[in-house]
Amino acid sequence: MLSMPRTHMLDVIVTLALWAWYIMGYLIFFSPFYLYAYFFSKRKEEAFQRLNHRLHRHFFTLVRILIPRARWHITEEVSALRSSIIIANHRSFLDPILFVSLYEKQKTIVKKDYFGYPVFGWILKVSGYMPSLTNGGFSDAMMTQIKNMADYLASGGNLFIFPEGTRSRDGRIGPFDKGGFRIARLCRAPIVVVSIRNTDKLYPPDGLLFNTRDACAIEVELAGRLTPDYDRDNMSTADLMEEARALLERKMTP
Amino acid sequence: MTRAEIEAKILEFFRKEFEIDNPGMDDDLREAHGFDSIDAIELLLEIENILDSELTHEEKKRAMDIRTINQVLDYIVSLAEARQAGNRADQASAVKSR
Repeated sequence: MLSMPRTHMLDVIVTLALWAWYIMGYLIFFSPFYLYAYFFSKRKEEAFQRLNHRLHRHFFTLVRILIPRARWHITEEVSALRSSIIIANHRSFLDPILFVSLYEKQKTIVKKDYFGYPVFGWILKVSGYMPSLTNGGFSDAMMTQIKNMADYLASGGNLFIFPEGTRSRDGRIGPFDKGGFRIARLCRAPIVVVSIRNTDKLYPPDGLLFNTRDACAIEVELAGRLTPDYDRDNMSTADLMEEARALLERKMTP
Repeated sequence: MTRAEIEAKILEFFRKEFEIDNPGMDDDLREAHGFDSIDAIELLLEIENILDSELTHEEKKRAMDIRTINQVLDYIVSLAEARQAGNRADQASAVKSR
């Protein structure tokens, strides 16, 4: 059995290797493709999403190779989702990038600060991801994104949202923000609820290192589907949020 | 369209889409009703529907300062008047050029 310092050292090495690959993926391996897509693609947004998908797929392949003790169970139902507004619980920084690795056409709402990062912020913007604005403000780009969302969904794209807005520290599902549900209502779109388990065991919400030591089973499963009648007179977004929460809680209860 | 007609449309929109019944006309929408970015965008899309035309970048920027329903109504009325004035000017120049 490895001693504590040695196992921690393994965490450090694996974490450095993974994030080094991640950063080099953007800056070196994939940058020529991003630049090509930016200057020559007629559908920049779609091309950038496809590149994001490939980059993250490679990243998770590497995660699986370097951390064999983590077992992955992502159901076919979840992998096959298209044209959906996906609502999921949030356990780890890995959750959003895992969704990017699953879907070729993907959009999400990202913390506004990330849009200010060099290179990464530009990629987020061109990919059509939306900034989360807490002060009620909005931008032209965001308005265009929401205006075009119904068409984007119809074309097979997924919009995934973590309505808790932040990673759960205690495993419980936090209060929901209504944003994703409002977008679903505006687009008259059904909602797919997906549960995520144990990504926090692999990459803890407040940690800096991957946990390579403990075996964990990461599960991404369908918790249920909601097809609200948005034209019903007493339609309520709050009720819709409660229904989604109930589906998640039922799925997460052991 | 009169201000009263616009008011009726906006209040109906608030009731149906935002589930806000009989809001105070001077309520701060963020403070009193938790109005957020998505709500603001949804309202602007509805304003485009009412005006039957897209908002310009400048018009959207002006909308960022709106806090109350009375301000929403002022905003729509001013845009509607500006569009009417623009249409009249277009017609006048078309007549002149004949």
